[in-house]
Amino acid sequence: MTIDTDLEAEIQRLLAEHDRIAEQGITVQRRDHLIVLGGEVESAQRRDEICQQITTHFPDVQITCDIGITRTQAPSEVEEIS
Amino acid sequence: MIRIAAVGDVHVDKDVVGRYRPALEELPDRADALLVAGDLTRHGTPEEARCFAKEFGGLGVPVVVCLGNHDHQSDQQEQVTEVLTDAGITVLESAATVLEIRGHRLGIAGTKGFGGGFAGACASNFGEREMKDFVGTAERYAEALETALKSVECDALVALTHYSPVPETLVGEPLEIYAFLGCYQLGRAIDAAPTALALHGHAHHGSERGRTPGGVPVRNVAHPVIKQAYNVYQLLSDEVDATLVGAN
Repeated sequence: MTIDTDLEAEIQRLLAEHDRIAEQGITVQRRDHLIVLGGEVESAQRRDEICQQITTHFPDVQITCDIGITRTQAPSEVEEIS
Repeated sequence: MIRIAAVGDVHVDKDVVGRYRPALEELPDRADALLVAGDLTRHGTPEEARCFAKEFGGLGVPVVVCLGNHDHQSDQQEQVTEVLTDAGITVLESAATVLEIRGHRLGIAGTKGFGGGFAGACASNFGEREMKDFVGTAERYAEALETALKSVECDALVALTHYSPVPETLVGEPLEIYAFLGCYQLGRAIDAAPTALALHGHAHHGSERGRTPGGVPVRNVAHPVIKQAYNVYQLLSDEVDATLVGAN
């Protein structure tokens, strides 16, 4: 598989500019023949949409998705500011 | 003592409604106010703003926000602001508000802010019109923040921005994009007033803690950084109690 040298940039622009994604906090890293996606999003649907759109726009690219879903539990500690 | 809860970059849309609510319902037992440091929505539409208002409104504590770059994406920031304001949420853009909390006055000055970079790697107001517009935008937001910070009389003053005022809270982000994540002019504005705490978001891969050159504590409360529904900060402490009321 040939990976274009601008592939990471093109994927990151897709993730930011695609109407159904709008994510600027996803990391895109090349690992040999793989593209590894990292970062966190607010829902599983958003993570799945990212993978689906990359696969649709770059069908020859093999991706591995390490994107997590940001946790929303209440905090247990307070920080004193001084 | 004043306790403020803070988070940023929650990017609410229909798929997020309900995720934060259980933790937010506990807020009256944990904090006196909630501050949200921009990127309330994904695309900045009134529909998404209504989702944010449903999730973050009606909490039993005052909610004060600034907008982020995502909230400008659809060029409908005025309508977004109107939706939020109608829901009882205070939206600060180059403005300040004062909350009366148990006999104390908490002042909050807010702006979205803008990029431009930091000492040693910042953009200059020189060259093409587009470049001068870029730097001029950063300077305009910073000057407005300084004016807003200086406009309030209070016991504790908090600066609320989306973009970062310092590079320390960007550590973890690629150096190449620091100039798109904040600018030193915001830090200078914060130092020009007796600011007790500066809160910002925007840098999802950044670090939580920093200080301005003048020594003001800075906290990056972007949701992916704090990894919980919100952080709680205590100001005007008489006595430190590190355990939150109602905490599990």
